[in-house]
Amino acid sequence: MLKEVFENEIGESYAKCVLDCGLKVFICEKPLYNSAYAIFGTKYASIDNVFSVNGERVEVPEGIAHFLEHKLFESEDGDAFTRYAKTGAYANAFTSFDKTCYIFNCSSNFEENLDILLDFVQSPYFTAATVQKEQGIIGQEIRMYDDSPAWRVMFNMLFAMYHSHPVRIDIAGTVESIAQIDDKLLYKCYETFYNPQNMFLCITGNVNTEKILKTLETAIKPKESIELTRIMPTEPDTVLNPYVEQALEVALPMFCFGYKENAQTKPTIKERICTAVLLEMVVGDASPLYKRLTNEGLINDEFSFEYFNGDGYSAVIFEGESKNPKKVAEEIKAEINRLKEEGLSKKLFNAIRSGLYGNAIRSFNSVESITMGLVDCAMNDTGLFDEIKYLKKITVDDVYKRLALLNDDCTVLSVITPKEK
Amino acid sequence: MSDKIVSLTNGVEGLFIKNDRFNTTSISYNFYLPLKEETVAKNALLPFILTASSKEFPDFSALNLKLNKLYGARLDASAEKYGDCQLLRMRISVINDRFTFDSDSLVRSASDMLLGLIFEPNVENNAFTEEDIQREKRKAIEHIKGEMAEKRIYAKNRLISEMYKGDAYGISKCGTVLQVEEITGEALYEAWVNMLKTAFVRVQVIGESLPPRFFESVAERFSEIERENITDHRLCKPTAPAKKVKTVFEKMDIQQGKLVLGFSSDMYGDDDASLPLMVMCDIFGGGPYSRLFTNVREKMSLCYYCAAGSVRYKGLLTVDSGVEWQNADKAIEAILNQLEIMQKGEFTDFEFESSIKSICDSLKGHYDSQNGIDLWYALKINNNNLYSPEDIIEKIKLITREDVIYAAKGVKLHTIFKLLPKEGPIC
Repeated sequence: MLKEVFENEIGESYAKCVLDCGLKVFICEKPLYNSAYAIFGTKYASIDNVFSVNGERVEVPEGIAHFLEHKLFESEDGDAFTRYAKTGAYANAFTSFDKTCYIFNCSSNFEENLDILLDFVQSPYFTAATVQKEQGIIGQEIRMYDDSPAWRVMFNMLFAMYHSHPVRIDIAGTVESIAQIDDKLLYKCYETFYNPQNMFLCITGNVNTEKILKTLETAIKPKESIELTRIMPTEPDTVLNPYVEQALEVALPMFCFGYKENAQTKPTIKERICTAVLLEMVVGDASPLYKRLTNEGLINDEFSFEYFNGDGYSAVIFEGESKNPKKVAEEIKAEINRLKEEGLSKKLFNAIRSGLYGNAIRSFNSVESITMGLVDCAMNDTGLFDEIKYLKKITVDDVYKRLALLNDDCTVLSVITPKEK
Repeated sequence: MSDKIVSLTNGVEGLFIKNDRFNTTSISYNFYLPLKEETVAKNALLPFILTASSKEFPDFSALNLKLNKLYGARLDASAEKYGDCQLLRMRISVINDRFTFDSDSLVRSASDMLLGLIFEPNVENNAFTEEDIQREKRKAIEHIKGEMAEKRIYAKNRLISEMYKGDAYGISKCGTVLQVEEITGEALYEAWVNMLKTAFVRVQVIGESLPPRFFESVAERFSEIERENITDHRLCKPTAPAKKVKTVFEKMDIQQGKLVLGFSSDMYGDDDASLPLMVMCDIFGGGPYSRLFTNVREKMSLCYYCAAGSVRYKGLLTVDSGVEWQNADKAIEAILNQLEIMQKGEFTDFEFESSIKSICDSLKGHYDSQNGIDLWYALKINNNNLYSPEDIIEKIKLITREDVIYAAKGVKLHTIFKLLPKEGPIC
């Protein structure tokens, strides 16, 4: 086992270990806290639909990673929720584009809860009957999202932005695609991706690192290493469709406006931080553009932005509600072009950098946000304190360089319009 | 942890909760006012307009720049319903001084800023400025209209307005579009003066230490105001059982229907009066061990979610679910069947014990969230005693199966609201 301990000047520390079986383990002790937050996860989610395992090419139905997440809670002798009910922990799980995470949060019985988490995630049990029952529940979940404008506006944008990368498909799949899932396919995906070499365990809270590592010695079942290749289609730099619209039951139009970036190489942590600073400078609440858009009645408090990236996809996304989404998109484009020509304000840069530095320190208040930070470390090989470190180092020129990635010809505007009565 | 209320002036309380685990200090001002049709929209606008500008920062952009310079100090505003009162909250949180090398105290600067925003707004000739008022009105109207986008929240709000027609609790927490449209700068100025004069106020600080002379300076500010007719923050009429169950439906162009059931409860009031209802509601439709989750979702596969919630102070219990319209009646029958099981005491010991454990575990976790602990005390103002989460844990542990059955027996169906897809049946 390899173990490293990291500390920083704000008094936080965490341990990173790689077990002999390949599992990455990250633990951040917070002795003053009552609770603990744990995530056992795998680098496997909705984008992993075509892969090759030990030389065999496999193609699976859309939504199967999410389906597997639901089904893993069941085992031969009852479900994990029933076991957690005996300890009082809160348990949940989620599937995103690139990872599936199983979570518990508790203020007592930590060891018992950890045993439950490690056990059920490593004990698959799927039968034709239980798969069929889940098709009904997930079908309801899919239909619920069909009615959610906030969900639709985002997925419509991704669908229009990407020609072939699987980030364009719905995480839960469709009622038709999940109908193709059976127990054998679930086992196939499970055996491929739920291998400790492809997994991580991240824990924060009132816990003891040495005790946890001792538990893991026997609780993690080693598996034979497999030869896994994720097969991703070639994705052009262009967008498929620059504008997409859907009518739903909303009072005010909703929009999602994205710049597609070339994602052949993953952005570094420094580039991600520079992009976060840049977005605040372009249209954060202290920026001239935010003031103009607000005063012109074009955005409200629902407005937000993010830097969205993963394996083979990368985009800068702005979303919100507006009486005129096209005008908002034009204004953002114009501001980005103005900044490219005129440069960035040093005064605003310094203020934004202080603000984000404070936010980074604030994030250590929450066991949940620290654990999510550790998951990011596991997924991207970064350090938990990198953000604080780079926020001190970066210059306005570093941030300016990120502007070059925002290309006018690679944008998509997705709009949800109110249904006509 | 020390939590002691200090009386600052007539109807103004201060509370400092010492908690060393956070990197930030949080300061909140909580104003409690009666919930009334004629004032609800104006009052609801106040926390937002006050935290957008002030005499010192007439421009919201300059204010936001200052918040960034204060290392990302966070300013939050909200207007909520609390019993038959409106709770207007304004809160600032900032990283502790030890994380910066600045000579000025960040915590002091942030607390001065919030005090300035509340007491020295951007007003001229006894009116809020036209620019500020138009901007905040537009945002409030968009917020009210935007509620229909999230169907689950929309359906729940519609149930409450139908269930409490003619009762203060039925008033929408931000008022109506029409009420917001009518607000003038002068009228809002009057509402602001009224808030400072008549609201019951709780000022709360959570962090490593209280800034020097903090409560003294708050008391000085409030003592400059003629405080009178202070709001009774315990205002709350319990929910009366329905003489006849009311069913209301509405149609929308949606895929999945929403079903919300509203129940009255004979058990209501503060923690000393109503804790068994919390446990009853949790066994009925709280966690994944609950009757509704295990039966209506898992066994019957009728829906993705079917959950119960309660507003104990008011004596209200709700169940909400997303279902296909063809299954709506089947779901109602299943939900009522589970309620009957609760009333007959046919829930298992496992369900009962799981619920107690889950509630206690989650209460203990409250201490780990600064906003959570701040909100805890702001929402416990109706209690005669200042109960901490630990105090409530001790009380929960004493609750018996019989207490839960007793609480369940007082729960009666009052109103059903159905949000149906257009292709569905008439009702």
